[in-house]
Amino acid sequence: MSDARKRTGSMPDADAKVDVVVIGDSESMCKGCKQALEGGGWGVGVAADGDEGLQVVKKTRPRVVLLDLDGSGTPGTDVLAGLSRTDPSPVVVAVTGRGTVEAAVECMRLGAFDVLAKPVAQARLLDAVGRGMKLSEVRGITAAGGKAGTRGKYDVLLEGLEVLSQSYALGLERQDFLEELRHLEAEARYHAESLGQVKKREKAILDIVHDFKVVDDVVEKHGYRKDALIQILLDIQGRLNWLPGHALRWLAARLGVPVADVCTITSFYEAMSLTPRGRHLVEVCLGTACHVRGGPELLTKVSALLGIKAGGTDLRGNFTLKTVHCLGCCALAPVVKIDGDYHSNPTMDHLKKTFAELSKEETVTCQN
Amino acid sequence: MPKLNSPRDLSALRSQLEAKSRAKPMMVTVCSGTGCLACGAASVTAEFKKQIEKAGLSEKVGVRATGCHGFCERGPITVIEPQKICYLATKVADVPEIIEQTLKNGAVVERLLYQDPATGKRVQRVEDIPFYKYQQRVLLVNNVRIDPTSIEDYIAVGGYAALAKALSELKPEQVMQMVKESGLRGRGGGGFPTGAKWETTRNAPAEPKYVLVNADEGDPGAYMDRSLLEGNPHSVIEGLTIGAFAIGAHEGIIYVRQEYPLALQNTLTGLDRARQLGLLGTNILGSGFDFDVRVHRGAGAFVSGESSALMNAVEGHVGEPRPKYVHTSVKGLWDKPSCLNNVETWANVPFIINQGVEWFRSLGTKGSKGTKIFSLVGKVKNTGLVEVPMGMSLRDIVFKIGAGIPGDKPFKAVQTGGPSGGVLPDKLLDLPVDFDELTKAGSMMGSGGLIVMDEETCMVDTARYYTDFLAHESCGKCVPCREGLRQMLAILNRITTGKGEEGDLALLEELCSVTKVASLCALGQSSVNPVLSTLKYFRAEFEAHIREKRCPAGVCKELIAYEIDKARCKGCGLCAKNCPTSAITRTPSKVHEIHQDKCVRCGACYTVCPAKFRAVAKVPASKVRTAA
Repeated sequence: MSDARKRTGSMPDADAKVDVVVIGDSESMCKGCKQALEGGGWGVGVAADGDEGLQVVKKTRPRVVLLDLDGSGTPGTDVLAGLSRTDPSPVVVAVTGRGTVEAAVECMRLGAFDVLAKPVAQARLLDAVGRGMKLSEVRGITAAGGKAGTRGKYDVLLEGLEVLSQSYALGLERQDFLEELRHLEAEARYHAESLGQVKKREKAILDIVHDFKVVDDVVEKHGYRKDALIQILLDIQGRLNWLPGHALRWLAARLGVPVADVCTITSFYEAMSLTPRGRHLVEVCLGTACHVRGGPELLTKVSALLGIKAGGTDLRGNFTLKTVHCLGCCALAPVVKIDGDYHSNPTMDHLKKTFAELSKEETVTCQN
Repeated sequence: MPKLNSPRDLSALRSQLEAKSRAKPMMVTVCSGTGCLACGAASVTAEFKKQIEKAGLSEKVGVRATGCHGFCERGPITVIEPQKICYLATKVADVPEIIEQTLKNGAVVERLLYQDPATGKRVQRVEDIPFYKYQQRVLLVNNVRIDPTSIEDYIAVGGYAALAKALSELKPEQVMQMVKESGLRGRGGGGFPTGAKWETTRNAPAEPKYVLVNADEGDPGAYMDRSLLEGNPHSVIEGLTIGAFAIGAHEGIIYVRQEYPLALQNTLTGLDRARQLGLLGTNILGSGFDFDVRVHRGAGAFVSGESSALMNAVEGHVGEPRPKYVHTSVKGLWDKPSCLNNVETWANVPFIINQGVEWFRSLGTKGSKGTKIFSLVGKVKNTGLVEVPMGMSLRDIVFKIGAGIPGDKPFKAVQTGGPSGGVLPDKLLDLPVDFDELTKAGSMMGSGGLIVMDEETCMVDTARYYTDFLAHESCGKCVPCREGLRQMLAILNRITTGKGEEGDLALLEELCSVTKVASLCALGQSSVNPVLSTLKYFRAEFEAHIREKRCPAGVCKELIAYEIDKARCKGCGLCAKNCPTSAITRTPSKVHEIHQDKCVRCGACYTVCPAKFRAVAKVPASKVRTAA
């Protein structure tokens, strides 16, 4: 059963996260458990006896300890007691050969969370340790050890409870509330994916929350007036550099207008963009005066240089090319307006230089 | 500046400001409209301020950034008051010389003056320059004298005197009568008698009433309203307030298109300042009349400039027109009586009140009184904004004021009225600018765009251009406009790409006849004008495109090609360097050649080949390509 030889425990690298510490003097058992637990995705530390085990636990702060109660050396009960006094105190899964009910109850009274009878089946082991992990989470014990002042899980949970209570006060049923949240979360993910961006779930959600807040801010500035819808949309585009679908749905809900009305307007007006715009807006004027003075040729040149057709945005998101009728500076015809600067009858050299300079810049996008 | 509580307060302030400007008679005014700003006017103004300060002349000389002076071809324009010396195309580098010569020594800098192309003589004063000499600048006169962001400047030149007079000396009905008798007609294109519209609104049995300013100015090539709003927003605000008083409205809305950021900014500033001084708001100048104005931005839709569409947009709906069985002056914004007028129309009102009906009627023709601002653009030497009395001939405008076509090439046509108007050929150049005369000839006055065209402008392409614009801007509600324009465009596209067929012209005319009669709003109804007028006066060009697959003007891309003359090419390589699609390569003999399959006919090589070689030629496409 147990190997009487003294064995040093194997310590994982100092940097590796240790979720479980296995304490037992049977090398084969420890090795077997370690393999199985690592297969479950946990970092594992091993100690040969109780004293070493307590030290390892103090150092690595695991969430769960797998303790062989029958090992020689310090009696299992003392180790249990020692573990319960450690701070943070890990969840202990005890392993014993004495498979009686009395023995199990005795273990649990001493602080073990679960008792496994030898020989330990792998599935049983993983299940027990898994549940132990969950319990340790609930107890708020983290492997890294929380620092004072940071928002931990419980802070967030408390806030969540407050919000839930507020939603009840508004007459929202829990099911509907959660359903709406799920829906918004899905929007965030859809939005990130459709932009071709690989974002962590938290970042995707934070981004659409930012967009929603911009919408709220604009709507408030306009006094929630429904007739200011066009102005509101222009202002939202001014801040987000385009009109994302989720922002439009949020706006419709906020203003109390049907989504279809919002879509009618955004699809009607030239100035409104339902696709992300590049950092730099290039507008070639195709007003009549520019048309007779070489506007279409200028458009061909600009389009060829940027590699995009009118209405499009380049793959790197640097430039959006649009045609406008008319900018009202007909004496400068043909005119191209780049980011608010007017360029009259530009040469190819001038265009190449300007575009090259603008592509280099690390400009901030309209997300402010 | 404290609030003005009565007309007397206003006169007192004016006297104060006039005295102030008399104490500093010398002024450097730099045109800072959008066009000149794009040419660096802001740096010129800054440089003047800096150098004048350095030279210790700040006590004696002021610097003022004004609105658009109109001579846009030669901007940035600097006018030195009180001598009214006009310097063209001033750059930052010119500033020290101007200060030294003109401000200090009272001499002129010859090279910056306008030079008469015929005699070579230099012209000093603004009003002696032919461009300005033949104009009658009533509405635009103050553009060169005031800083548009300064309400004090406007008051100093007599601003808001008309409002004070109307509020304190006249009854609303009297004001309305004056406008009716003046014969003022809408300047936005419709030409509807303004006084009659005001009266309908006033008499409509509903409250509240609204007044609106249409600053959508969607006609491409027209920028008169931009310059008025940028350069003198208070003239429009004052006119609007007087109108509101006459009609009995207490809320005004200015609809500005979003493509005019500077006009929008200056309007908002102007409204703020007017409110601060008590010229807008409650109990204006102690008269008991309340009125305030807000601004609504457009978002890039041509059709939203139509009056019922504009009102829909202000209500927050999509800016589409509605059938006007009941006029908007009876049931407009939120179904209330609403009087909508163009920017220029409103700007005329203070003059009528100040100078009187007789004076206004002394300008213009029998049917069209007053002056009109035109944007003279296209193939013309003196591109810019011109204000002329109604009745001046198109010839005078294009040749006397505009100085003719660049390169003195022959005149081909002038397009008036924007996408709702038509072309007028050489033989009609003596037509006077008059609402009814122009409509009789198959075009219309429109908002004031005057596009000059020469032999290198293709009339078929012009018709296609306007039809394309209108098809795109059509709101799509009614079938004749939506489908009619779409089909007309399809036919014109085929013709301009060499795929025209016999019978196309007859089909075009048939489509036009339906679209003109059956469309819901004026966009559709007048959309046929560009096509029908080009067909009427330039049918031969259409036929050349269809029968010979040839574009006489050398414009339609599918029908032309660029070719390098091997005898003339000296191998300088400029064409290859400027080709955006790398379609030009060097042959072993240094002569360059264009690969037609890569060429996109942008014309860069044509423009850039040095004049002494002139090796790139425009030839019919059939010459270089085998298949059509």
